[in-house]
Order: sequence, then structure tokens, then C-alpha cells
Amino acid sequence: MRLKEQILEKVFLLSAFAAVVGVILVFIFVSIKGIPIIKSIGITKFIFGLDWAPTDKHYGILPLIIGSFIVTFGALLIGAPMAIGTAIFLSEIAPSQIKAIVRPAVELLAGIPSVIYGFFGLIIIVPLVRMVFGGSGFGLLTGWLVLAIMILPTIATISEDAIRAVPRSYREASYGMGATKWQTIWRVVLPACKKGLMGATILGMGRAIGETMALLMVLGNAPVVPKSLTAPASALTSIIALDMSYASGDHQVALFAMGIVLFLISFSFVGLIRLVSSRG
Amino acid sequence: MRKCSRRPSGRPKLLALLLLVSIGTGCARGGAQKTVSISGSTTIFAVAQAAAEEFNKRNPDVKVTVQGGGSSAGIEAAITGAGDIGMSSRDLKDEELKAGLVEHIIAIDAIAIIVNPDNPIKKLTARQVRDIFDGKIANWRQVGGKDVPIVLVNRDEASGTREAFLKKVMEGKKFSKDAVIQPGSGQVRSIVASTPAAIGYMSLGYVTPEVKVIEYDGTRPSKESVFKGKYKLSRKLKLFTKGRAKGATKKFIDFFLGDWVQKNIVSVEFIPVRG
Repeated sequence: MRLKEQILEKVFLLSAFAAVVGVILVFIFVSIKGIPIIKSIGITKFIFGLDWAPTDKHYGILPLIIGSFIVTFGALLIGAPMAIGTAIFLSEIAPSQIKAIVRPAVELLAGIPSVIYGFFGLIIIVPLVRMVFGGSGFGLLTGWLVLAIMILPTIATISEDAIRAVPRSYREASYGMGATKWQTIWRVVLPACKKGLMGATILGMGRAIGETMALLMVLGNAPVVPKSLTAPASALTSIIALDMSYASGDHQVALFAMGIVLFLISFSFVGLIRLVSSRG
Repeated sequence: MRKCSRRPSGRPKLLALLLLVSIGTGCARGGAQKTVSISGSTTIFAVAQAAAEEFNKRNPDVKVTVQGGGSSAGIEAAITGAGDIGMSSRDLKDEELKAGLVEHIIAIDAIAIIVNPDNPIKKLTARQVRDIFDGKIANWRQVGGKDVPIVLVNRDEASGTREAFLKKVMEGKKFSKDAVIQPGSGQVRSIVASTPAAIGYMSLGYVTPEVKVIEYDGTRPSKESVFKGKYKLSRKLKLFTKGRAKGATKKFIDFFLGDWVQKNIVSVEFIPVRG
């Protein structure tokens, strides 16, 4: 019995360790391939360069960074309130029959492959945006709408957990004071789980900035600082995916260096979650 | 993050796998090369696929596998040895010239300029096309069409078609950066087919009735107009091998250039190099 316990302990330790080793290995590999960028192109020219044209040997990724951030924050702006609304509805309002429909639907949404979201965007949202705003239909706005749906389940499920973690006694006390349901939710429950909601939102942000396939299909892939929300744009991830198959030399180094940039952005999101959840 | 690793690694991994397979089977059968892997231009892909099928039928001891990836990927594979043959719809760039590749011209192809069927425009001059793709002309009204902004659809930089178009049409001017970029001719076609104000270009072999081909500089692209040299937007489609082709690779290339493939497969979509 004792032996079995020990073995199990080691097995779990090993699996936990695998995650750490995985992160470190990926980071080291991407860094080794990407760091030569400092010598070959120059870090300022790379990060702040406005011209991404691999065939002309121009490797400035600022337009792609800007694209990545605008598409992420726009998706959050649309997706986060919707997701938190869903979470409130599920945990505070919905009767159990409706819950039985909505919750599996949200969970299913999380399991749909991103290429399917891209396809959905291409077939439904691109023509819709084109009809309403003219132009090609490809661009940031389309990216926002597709990504908003994609990050909804991430934010909604974690927010729901956070809301449920608020002790029942808080609600009972609020009702006891004569507060309505809305007052209880808005003034008592939500402030009590503010941290959890923020954590959920940041996690959604991480999901959004790393999204690739769907963006490749709906953004239009023009490597420019977008002039409008309905003009074609690019994200770091989608350009890596687009170029990886044929890139060589400096171009390939630039793609790996973009991987480092994405890594650092992801790290800072994780750091942000830690910061938010450690503050009292 | 986890999703982004899927697509980029797909092709190189497959190529590596192909290489392994080719080494593996080659050794197993006493050193003779029995697998030929061919990859690159999506323009040539369908034709190469059809030729490979017939070749495999006639030569059961040799296995020819065909992959896309774009001209640049094909040339890269031929240079590094990840593949036996690279398909390309563009010429070699300076840095690729030194790699010792041998070219085999398999067909001549026209690049058609396409618009949405609802677009009243029927023809454009070379200069108008250049100004449109350069971004100088941004509204269809400027070339006699409706008053709507032009939606440019361009190919990605791995594309040989893009490279050929750049060389033949743009004459030193750069492509407008505001274009929608798509990684394949199929995507370009479907966007132009569904977007009223769109303009794009692709191999004549890829054109379907969903899109409208316009006259370029007074000539419609067709096998005859290209053959007679009237249609200016044509290019050679090539296979590249590292050094002179040998063994099964040579056999396949000879088959590709032979009468049967040229007559029954190549001539359906392109202009054959013979007859």
C-alpha cells in the first residue's frame, strides 16, 4: 500500500514536471531560433519597423503587434460583458431547465476547433460585414466578432465559478435587508468576486492573442496598421502561420522572434492574473 | 497558443516524413530510388497529381507523391533535398540560382485578371491594372465602372503567381499593402466570386464561371493568344531538381514531358510545351 502511494506520488510529480519542462523547452527552442534577429535586423527595426515585406527583406512587425492588440481588446470589449452576463445568468437567475440547455451549449462552444470558427466567420460574418459596411468584409471588426464568440466560453465558465464561490450568506444578508435581486447581484455578488472576473477576462485575453487559424481566415492578412475597422489587417500569429511554410534565412528568424514576442505577451498576461489574484 | 502550432508545422513535418519514407524505402530495396516526392506551386499541383496517378499506374514499383505549399516552398524543398522535385510557377531568385538547380519546363500558363461577374468592366490596360494593384486607382469609377472602392485580392509572398505578376505587370512598382492576402488560388477565386468590387488574378487553369476574366491590354487570355504571343501575361511552369535528374526522378520528369501527359493532362489547363 505504501509503495503504491509513493509510486502514484511520483507519477503525479512527473506529470506536473512535464508541463514545466515543456514550457522551458519551447521557450529555449524559440529563443535560440529567434534571438539572432538582434544581430541580423536589429531589435528596434524589428519591433518598431512599420514595413513587413519579406521578399524585400523588410521585417518590421509593429503593424502586426498593433493588429494583434486591437483585435484582442476589441474581442474582449464585445466578448467579456457577454460572457460575464452569461455567467451571472447561469449562476444567479436561470431556472434549472434553462441552465440544462445553456451550460452544455457554452461548454460545446469551447470545444469547437478554431478552423471551424474561421469557416463560420468566412461564410457568415465576412459577407455580413461586407453588406453593412462595404469593402471586402475582411478586417478587424470581423476578427472581433469571431474572436468574441471564441473567448466567450473561457470567460463564462471561469466567471461562473467565481460567482458561485461567493458565500450564500452574502446574498441572504442582502435579501434580508430588503434588496432586490438586481441590487444583490450588482452591489453584493459582483463586487465580492471582482478578482475572479478579472482573472477570467485576462485568461480570455490570453486565448484571444494566441488565436491563429480563425484570424488567418477572416482578417485579410494585409500587414499594415489598419486604417479602419473594416480594412484588412494582420496579427502576429496569423502571419507566422501564413509564412512558416516557405520562410528561410532572416525571414524564418523573424518568425521565431515574433514567437518570442508572443511568448512575452502571454507571460505578461499570466503575470497580470497573478497580480490581480494576489491583491486583497 | 496551442492552436497556432498546427498549421505552420504541417508542411515541413510532412516533407520531413516524405523524406524519411523515401530514404527508408530506398534502402530497403537495395539502394535504388523508388519514391519520388514532388512539392510546390499550387498552380501546377492538380496537373502533377494527375500525372503522378497515371505514372504510378504504369510503374507500380515507383511511388510518386505530390504536395502543394507554393512555389517558394517547392524550390526550398528541392534545394535542401527535402523533396526530389520542386514545382514552380516563377523564375529562380538570385540567391536560389547558386544552389545548382536544373529546370525542366513543363508548360506555359497565362495569368488571368479576374473580377466579379456583376462588375461591368470588360477590359483594362496594362497601366490601369498596374495602378489598381499599386493602389493609385482605388475606385472603379476611375476606370469607367461603378462608384465603389476597389477591393484588391492578392496572393501571399510564397506564391509564384504573385511573383510572376509582380514582374510582368508591376514593372518595379510595389503592390498596395491594403489588399486582402490569401494563401491559395482557390481562396482568391471564392472571394472575387462573392465580393462585387473585388479584383484578383490567378492561373487561367484555375478560372471557373464564378468569376469574370477581363481583357488585359486589349487581349483575352486563351491558349491561342498566349501561344501566338499576343497575351503578355504568361509564364513558364517548371520543375526543378537538384543537379541532373536521375533514376526514378528522371523517369517521372521524362514521363511528364512526354506526349501522353502533355496531350491528355497538361493541355487541359495549360499550353503544352510540345505540339
